[in-house]
Amino acid sequence: MKEPMYKSARDLPSAHLLGAGTAMCAGCGGLEVVREAYDVLGENTVFVNAAGCMTLMSVYPFTPFRGSWLYTAMASAPAGAQGVRDALDIRRAKGELEAGDDLEVVVLTGDGAGYGMGLSATSAAIDRGLDFLYLCYDNEGYGNTGQQTSPATPHGARTATDGALAGVAGEKKDLFGIWVANRPTYAATVVGSEPLDLARKVARAKSRSGPRLILALAPCPTGWGFEPSETVAIGHLAVRTGIWPLKEYVDGRVEHTRRPHPRLPVTDYLKTQARFAHLFEPEPNEQVLAEIQASVDAYWDAVE
Amino acid sequence: MYRIRFHGRGGQGMKTASRILGSAFFLSGFEVQDAPRYGAERRGAPIFAFVRAGRAAILERGNIDRPDLVVVADDTLVAIPGAGVLAGLHADSVLLLVTTVPADDWQQRLNTTGTVLTLPPPGGSERDPALLSALCAGAAARLTGAIEREALIRAVDEELALYPADTIAANRAGALAGFDALAVAAGRVGESGAVAADGYDAPDWIDLPADGVGLAAPTIHAGATSVEVRTGLWRTMRPVIDLEKCHRCTWVCGTFCPDGVIGVDAERYPVIDYDHCKGCMICLAQCPTHAIAAITERQGREADIAAEGEQA
Repeated sequence: MKEPMYKSARDLPSAHLLGAGTAMCAGCGGLEVVREAYDVLGENTVFVNAAGCMTLMSVYPFTPFRGSWLYTAMASAPAGAQGVRDALDIRRAKGELEAGDDLEVVVLTGDGAGYGMGLSATSAAIDRGLDFLYLCYDNEGYGNTGQQTSPATPHGARTATDGALAGVAGEKKDLFGIWVANRPTYAATVVGSEPLDLARKVARAKSRSGPRLILALAPCPTGWGFEPSETVAIGHLAVRTGIWPLKEYVDGRVEHTRRPHPRLPVTDYLKTQARFAHLFEPEPNEQVLAEIQASVDAYWDAVE
Repeated sequence: MYRIRFHGRGGQGMKTASRILGSAFFLSGFEVQDAPRYGAERRGAPIFAFVRAGRAAILERGNIDRPDLVVVADDTLVAIPGAGVLAGLHADSVLLLVTTVPADDWQQRLNTTGTVLTLPPPGGSERDPALLSALCAGAAARLTGAIEREALIRAVDEELALYPADTIAANRAGALAGFDALAVAAGRVGESGAVAADGYDAPDWIDLPADGVGLAAPTIHAGATSVEVRTGLWRTMRPVIDLEKCHRCTWVCGTFCPDGVIGVDAERYPVIDYDHCKGCMICLAQCPTHAIAAITERQGREADIAAEGEQA
């Protein structure tokens, strides 16, 4: 399948497929990603939604989608996607469904399900070579229930369950790396504040078949503690500080689609969010700040 | 027992207001419950928080249906049925509104003979939710007449202990401003007695026979039906585009808007769908030519009414 061309931001769609009126928070970074991706994926898309914030996307009788939406438990969205794909394939084989009416099956999941509970079902779906696209909006915590720690919560962040002074002791899990180790047909990281990069990657994913990952950082005003107007600015900072590398895995190689030069200090990003405020007030926690900077530096040293 | 209900929008601090008031009651020797209603709370959506305070153990649970005091932090909620601001007010209830409209006007608008009190928004602005919550808690404390200044200040300190000192100081000042502003009405809110189970009003619903699933919950075939939900009601601030400054780079604001409510008109200018815009202000923050400004919803509504008048 041929990729549509997105040469500049002017080529981005100006009319949007996703309906307004959803219950997502004002300034939701996850909604921004889903809206941008849906415009590229097109109407012939069926979403299989793991429980999470986006449970509220489609509340009967209201849906923002143009087609079907299937809701599953947190851990089983890839299994739901398998069932939908199989049903479509059977109808194709019987001649009941023209090629042009086939649907792209997209798992829509947050990081709680994507990095944690749903990992086993995801791994098995990749092993089976399931033809699906896995779109994870990563807001680095269980946002729908009040931002408890998830396996995607970064080191040092304060959450509803890690309220101690130093924040989360562990490190953010590398879901992109896990997918790459499973040798999918495509994997990429994106963020809604880089819509051109996102559109190109979603188009590339759509032009292939097999298991494909789009992993999106989703700045979360409610869970991270910032003004909703700052969602895009914080997305930009995540990229420019090197905290959120934009990259893709294609034909067996990982390529970075953006190499921030010069990289801004991580504090430029951390300072914008209340979840890291304890690292600065009442006095700077130099140790944790240095740990976060060192892990970002080590990542890019290995890349460059 | 005092039964007090707070109404505001997500982000205006009503949960905090109820906690401050609850703690102030507790420090004054009362048995206390304080809790927000759990639902899908988010920025701008109607929020409810409840405080019960009594001199004996409180056996009541759940939402407060017959409040002695209703505090409304955002007067735009009064007109929204889902916010249920006026629900269950009885003859002795007090309604306290944070508003710039005089109490007499509200009494006429709401067609009520009950007590309506008003407080101006802190600093004349709706943009400071922290002070709004403290103001409401302080005002409610004074209206009960059962809480002294010292208990109120200690409650602010305890509830905000994790915040920086200047935030606590600002909230103390906000709470005391509310407390002092209502000195004239100190003790106006009374306690109401316990309600026995058989004393509750029967629910005012109508029993209907159950329909088959096909009729009661028909399959929806249309796409994008979510547009029937008017999320524009969440907004407290409204983005307004100055077309003279606009360079028509609509791929910027139109792409970054999470809700996709910025369209493009025939002359390629951006158009905001105010029925659905939630007021996140990402467009304002990202507009390269600073062509987008924020006005309060009240200013916006007044401008709408003026524009309608000109057309008529």
